[in-house]
Amino acid sequence: MRSTIFHTILGLSLFVISLSAQPVVGSIAGKVVDAETAQPLTGANIVLRGTFMGTATGLQGEFRISKIPPGTYTLVVSMIGYQRIVVDQVAVVASKEQFLSLKLMPTFIETEQVVITANRREQSLQDVPVSVSTVTAKMIAERNTVTLDDALRYVPGVNMTYDQVNIRGSSGYSRGVGSRVLLLLDGLPFLTGDTGEINWETIPVYQVERIEIVKGAGSALYGSSALGGVINVITRDVQDSPELRIRLYTGLYDQPRFSEWRWSTKSRFNSGLLATYSNKTGALGYLLSATRTVDDSYRQNDAYHRWSLYSKLRYDFSSSQSITVTANYLQRVHGNFFWWRNLREATKPADDQLDGQVDSRRGNIGISYKEFLSEKFFYTVKGIYFVNYWEDSKLGKRNYISTSHLANLDVQGTYEFSKENVLTFGVAGNYDLVDANLFGKHPGVGAAAYVQDEVELLPKLKATAGLRFDWQKVSVLPSTSQVNPKLGFVYSPDRETSLRASFGSGFRYPAIGELYIESPQNISNVPVLPNVDLLIEQSVSFEIGGSRSLADRFFVDAAVFTSSFKNLIEPGVAFNERNEAYIKFDNVTKARITGGEVGLRIEWWKKVLSSDLGYTYIWPRDLNENAILKFRPRHMFYVSGSLSYDHLRTSADFRYLSRVERIDENLVRFAPIIHGDQLVPIKVVDVRAWYELVGLGLPIRIGFNVNNLTNYHYVELIGNLAPVRTYFITVDGVW
Amino acid sequence: MISVDEAVAFEWVDYYFLFQTMKVFLATLCLFLLASCEPGLTPPPEVEPGLGGTILFEKGTWPRQDSLFNLWVFASKIYPLDSSKIFTGLFSEPPAIYIHPSFEKNLPFFVDSTVYSFALPAGTYKYIGVLQRFREEISVGSLRVVGLYGSNSIPPEPLQVTVEDFQFVRGVNMKVNFHKPPRQPF
Repeated sequence: MRSTIFHTILGLSLFVISLSAQPVVGSIAGKVVDAETAQPLTGANIVLRGTFMGTATGLQGEFRISKIPPGTYTLVVSMIGYQRIVVDQVAVVASKEQFLSLKLMPTFIETEQVVITANRREQSLQDVPVSVSTVTAKMIAERNTVTLDDALRYVPGVNMTYDQVNIRGSSGYSRGVGSRVLLLLDGLPFLTGDTGEINWETIPVYQVERIEIVKGAGSALYGSSALGGVINVITRDVQDSPELRIRLYTGLYDQPRFSEWRWSTKSRFNSGLLATYSNKTGALGYLLSATRTVDDSYRQNDAYHRWSLYSKLRYDFSSSQSITVTANYLQRVHGNFFWWRNLREATKPADDQLDGQVDSRRGNIGISYKEFLSEKFFYTVKGIYFVNYWEDSKLGKRNYISTSHLANLDVQGTYEFSKENVLTFGVAGNYDLVDANLFGKHPGVGAAAYVQDEVELLPKLKATAGLRFDWQKVSVLPSTSQVNPKLGFVYSPDRETSLRASFGSGFRYPAIGELYIESPQNISNVPVLPNVDLLIEQSVSFEIGGSRSLADRFFVDAAVFTSSFKNLIEPGVAFNERNEAYIKFDNVTKARITGGEVGLRIEWWKKVLSSDLGYTYIWPRDLNENAILKFRPRHMFYVSGSLSYDHLRTSADFRYLSRVERIDENLVRFAPIIHGDQLVPIKVVDVRAWYELVGLGLPIRIGFNVNNLTNYHYVELIGNLAPVRTYFITVDGVW
Repeated sequence: MISVDEAVAFEWVDYYFLFQTMKVFLATLCLFLLASCEPGLTPPPEVEPGLGGTILFEKGTWPRQDSLFNLWVFASKIYPLDSSKIFTGLFSEPPAIYIHPSFEKNLPFFVDSTVYSFALPAGTYKYIGVLQRFREEISVGSLRVVGLYGSNSIPPEPLQVTVEDFQFVRGVNMKVNFHKPPRQPF
């Protein structure tokens, strides 16, 4: 025992000594300029490939990376709007500084965009064989997005049915249970353990660096729930230098157009305050954030207030080893507005929901360790633990309570045999535990292994092939397993053009909530019964697409796609021998969705004026009933334009979604949702203006947004009037 | 390298394109604003739910005044009925059987026809007809159905009517022949 303690102390001492020792090092410095104008570029990213060492250029385009162990490195320089350059064989000599003059060639913004989700590694958008859209932190900030689902409402091919996300028509609406789109938080699955749904408010929206949306089945890389696509939320890293960010916003809901819907004489506000501090001390970087949000809502008994705390710690053991730990906690109290009383009283809930509320506490802890073993090989170990507690109550009397625990672990290796051949492989595991009076107490466990190879078959043709094996066992049910393949090709005849074709498959295990839900009398006054015989949902997707930039001003991306689904799970109404109705989840539908999508970006006059257009057509067929699938709009059209001049930036968005042609008639009938069948197309205009006060020497930006400018009244989900016109004032400061 | 003249021309072209594009951009924005200027969903007009129609009384069949104590339209959510269900249906909360115009009021007597408007809660009514109280005593034995909203079959079967919220169902017409009342439910 003594010997063990001695060796532990000795080992720790040596570790501390090794950390404090100062090796002989060199540095790289230089300047980055625009290749056409020779103007210095501020904010260009410079990293040494295969290490965590890097920096960003300063106001004069200058940079310096110091404390580099002697050796030969590959330097990668990137900046939005410029071609990425790779400088090989940069020699670093001990106690000397290597100086580099670097020129970046301006390019079209889309072509050099880097994405990580399509193939589990960083690569240019042009090199991935599937359709990928991104939402940046800037877009989120400018639209004053409060929860992340709002940020997805302008992504081509994506639409929201209230809080349930649809990628190219994959999901419809299944009453919040069992998402057919997989949400990843920094690469790890982030669905609730009980109902398998996405809880948007748990994601720290102000800490998001970007969101990547991969369209089409993606279970060959990510496993269950990636039937229709994958959304990866990538949070921003800690800052190298001290940074304090404050964000304050307050919004005022306008009155609805019609006096019948004006239920309150008081002004209804939606306000929030966020503070984030980030710094790095030696090898330790940290970020701490707190957010307070209060929303009075435009509807009765729909108000909420919430606190959320977020922190991120990063420790660099060396230039090639780093660990990141994140922790997030959220507490919220929200009124229980399920559906309106009727369309004459669309801002009031049905009588039995008038006094209900939901209290929720949710938290997660994530750990990510990454190590470069060489310039060609690195591996990551990621884990996340997500706990969800919620209870709904009425007049202080608790009704339903649910606690779910979810743990995910993923170990991934990436080996670059050569620039033309990259192998990605890994294993993953998950453990769920649900304890709820609605679902019972049930554990779930799963394991998976995956492999993918990207090969350049010909000088301009790249192929990607992958396979994933998944095994899952829920409670006492028999275990099930799945094998999902993927295949993709990218052909790039020239620098401006990229043609792609892909095939992928997807599946979704039934959520514990779908299998075991049992309620003698739910909100609809119809009992809900369990169904442990549910089968796995499956999908297969094909896509052919291409993109091309024209004259450095236009970028067009087009795709045609088809997806087949089977064993889709939906809650259905059935009758027992006494002719009494009950609800049960069942595998009821087989479906096929075909369609096309086109996106166009235009930039004028050095990007002073830019616009984006996206149009998606889908033909979603329920093959069992030979009818259109429920809750899917056939046409989705998004257009946005922005104008920037000096420190002023203005922009506007318009989105159109055609009227949903078919809804869940049983939900309308049995709830009952009076006027639940009242639907219109969605036609919403949002406008905003931002002004930066840097001219006055203040690091502050002031924004004014008007959401739903024309006060258009519509529903995304039956019986739920969407937000009325809202005015927001936002102040952002960075010190 | 480009010359100064070329650079000026280049900038002019860019300005030209900028203003052209701005015009298109603003025009497009106006178009979208116009497209979304309509209100979208609107509150439906306030309509009291119920049903109504015309009751035709066959000439020469009216009974004497001393056997006309009450004459009502009734709408029952339950069918078939029996004696025990009549009073519980009428006086339960919420009722299962509704009476029009009211317990105190009647349909007009000795007319050829009358138009009625019967306010009812939303729901499905399985049995609708005209009810006569022909004796002074208040009991099930004093009541008889003299008209029925029913099928064309012989004998006619009751037809059900579903009244939605904010819906008034019209055309619930009935014939009354006091000499040939329909099959009695109790």
